[in-house]
Formats: sequence, C-alpha cells, structure tokens
Amino acid sequence: MDGAGSARLAALIRAAAREERLPDGDAVPALADRDIPAIARQVGVSPWEAADAALVMGVIPARYLRNLGAFGSEGQRRLHRASAALVGLGGLGGLALESLARLGVGRLLAADHDVFEDSNCNRQILATAQTAGIPKAAAAAERVCLVNPLVRLQAKQEQLDRQGMDSLLADADVALDCLGGLAGRSDLAVAARSAGIPLVTAAVAGWSGYVAVVMPGFPDPSALMGSGPAAEDSLGTQPPAIYTAAAIMAGEAARLLGQGECSLAGRMLLFDLLRQTWDTITLA
Amino acid sequence: MNIEVRCFATLGKFAPTDGALALPEGTDVAGAMAALGVPPDEVKIIFVNGKAVGPQTALRDGDRLGLFPAVGGG
Repeated sequence: MDGAGSARLAALIRAAAREERLPDGDAVPALADRDIPAIARQVGVSPWEAADAALVMGVIPARYLRNLGAFGSEGQRRLHRASAALVGLGGLGGLALESLARLGVGRLLAADHDVFEDSNCNRQILATAQTAGIPKAAAAAERVCLVNPLVRLQAKQEQLDRQGMDSLLADADVALDCLGGLAGRSDLAVAARSAGIPLVTAAVAGWSGYVAVVMPGFPDPSALMGSGPAAEDSLGTQPPAIYTAAAIMAGEAARLLGQGECSLAGRMLLFDLLRQTWDTITLA
Repeated sequence: MNIEVRCFATLGKFAPTDGALALPEGTDVAGAMAALGVPPDEVKIIFVNGKAVGPQTALRDGDRLGLFPAVGGG
C-alpha cells in the first residue's frame, strides 16, 4: 500500500472509531466488527491489514475489548502480528485453535491429515453431527472464518513428516503439539527445537493429563513416554481433561506471543481432575 | 516414615485410599512402587516434591511422590 493508501486507511479508521467504555469505566477508542471488513474493502487491503493499522493507531477492534485486561493494547497488537503453528486439529487442536482465534493471534498455521469420525464428537469442538467424513483442516478453516475474520488461517490436510513439520514451523513464533497418540510428538519437539521456538505440548487420558512448555534446549516430556501402549487406550479421552489441557495450552501460547513470557516455560503441569491434584514439576 | 502418593490415569488403581503410604526409613522410589504394586514399566515420569527423579531416589518423611504413566491422548 502506498502512502496515500495508508493515509486513507488511517482516515477511515479514525472516522469509524467510537469510544467504548469498559466495565471499570476506562474509555477505549474501538472499531465495530462490521466496520473493519468494510474499511478493508474500500482501501483494497485484507481485514488483517485494516485491523493491524487500527491497532497501530491504538484503536482496538471491539471484539478484543475484553482481552485488554490481560494483554493491553500493546499485547493485543503483538498477538495480531504473531504466528502460532498447531499440529493436530482434534480434541486439543480444535479448542486451542478456537481460543487463539478469539484471542486474536493474527496468523494461525495448522495441519491435520484426518477426517472426522463419529467417535470424535464427544470432545472435539470442530466435530458436529454434520462433519463425519469431512477433513478436520477444512472444518478448522470454516470455523476460524466464522469466529474471527481478522485472523488468517492456513490449514493443511496433511500428515506431517519431519520435513513437513520444519516447513510449518519455519514462520511460526510458537508451536502447539495437539497430536493424538504418542506418534509424532518427539519429532515435533525436535522440529521446534531446530526452529528455535517454544513448543506448548499436552496430552490427556481419562481425568488426567499434562501440559508443558518446552523452551528450546529444554527436555521434552513426550520423549519419556515411549512408543508403546498409552493410558488413553483404556481410559479414553473426555471433555473435562481435554478442555482443561487445551485452555492451558492456549493461555500459555498467547502469553508467550503477547507478553513474551509464560508460567510453564521449562516446566510441566500434571493434573488429575478426579482427585483435583495439580503438580508443576521440572524435568531434569 | 509417611509419604504422600499421587498416581495418575491408569496408575490410579494403585493409589493408597487416602493418598498416604507408610514406609520403612530409607526406602527409595522403587521400593515405594513395589509396596504399592505398581509395575515399574508402566511408570514413565516419577516426581518427588515437584522435581522429576529416577527410581533409585531415596524418600524422606513427608515427601510427595507422583507416578505418571504413558499418556498421549488428544
């Protein structure tokens, strides 16, 4: 966009901005959701670019007003300019994607080779009564468009090998291991380490699960899990543990992207929702 | 000595009822696992007081021992 285009975009944003009052009384210049694509169309830019210009001006897309308490306008702008790569769009991936899209992580890169089957419907937010046989990547693209048109999603229907992981992670600021089962997790940890980015990883079985943030060079929990049978083979995977783990994953990833820090960096949270125990440990 | 034990997921069935286990002084993690009847090959992560450790780690009165199996569901 040339200087005249940028000036026109800024003028349209200024004209459309309205003062919104937060519940605590703070006033914030904000843009209504419907105005952003309209402004983008008039100037010939994407909704992401229009939102970016607004955030640079300190004008907050109104859909992010309730994010400000955690991230502030500066953090929201960082989220908008950040990239997160999600490997797996099942139970963990669908929910993490939903949270990151609503938080406003501006670029979401995702991959899952699979199509939905009926047994996904107990926990996977992208699985509905209409999605049997539909690729998870396609459902993710449709969902993100509906939820937040200001962010950009590239979702591939592809089973990633090491090279595929390297390529997905090349442009990402953080990686999320949302795989189901033990296979592929160690490869992804190696890919994240070689990309030099943090890996937010989680797994669940029944009422138990873990979430860890593997900083480059730190130990990866999946390397301890082996490749044999796993607890979910008999305990299954249900929403309470999946939602818990995915919520914590998204929170840690967003904190890394928006604030440059997170609580589980180099550590691992192990939870048991049956006994309500929460342990944070350091791996040697 | 008495320790607190947390057994996760499929290992939950080996957990003492109130989470407490009485052991002879000087027992290590492997000894505690044997006392609980936990098959060692089913334990992938052992932690004591918030730190991952190996089975030969000596336990002390009041320690919190956690045993976590292979978990990979998503």
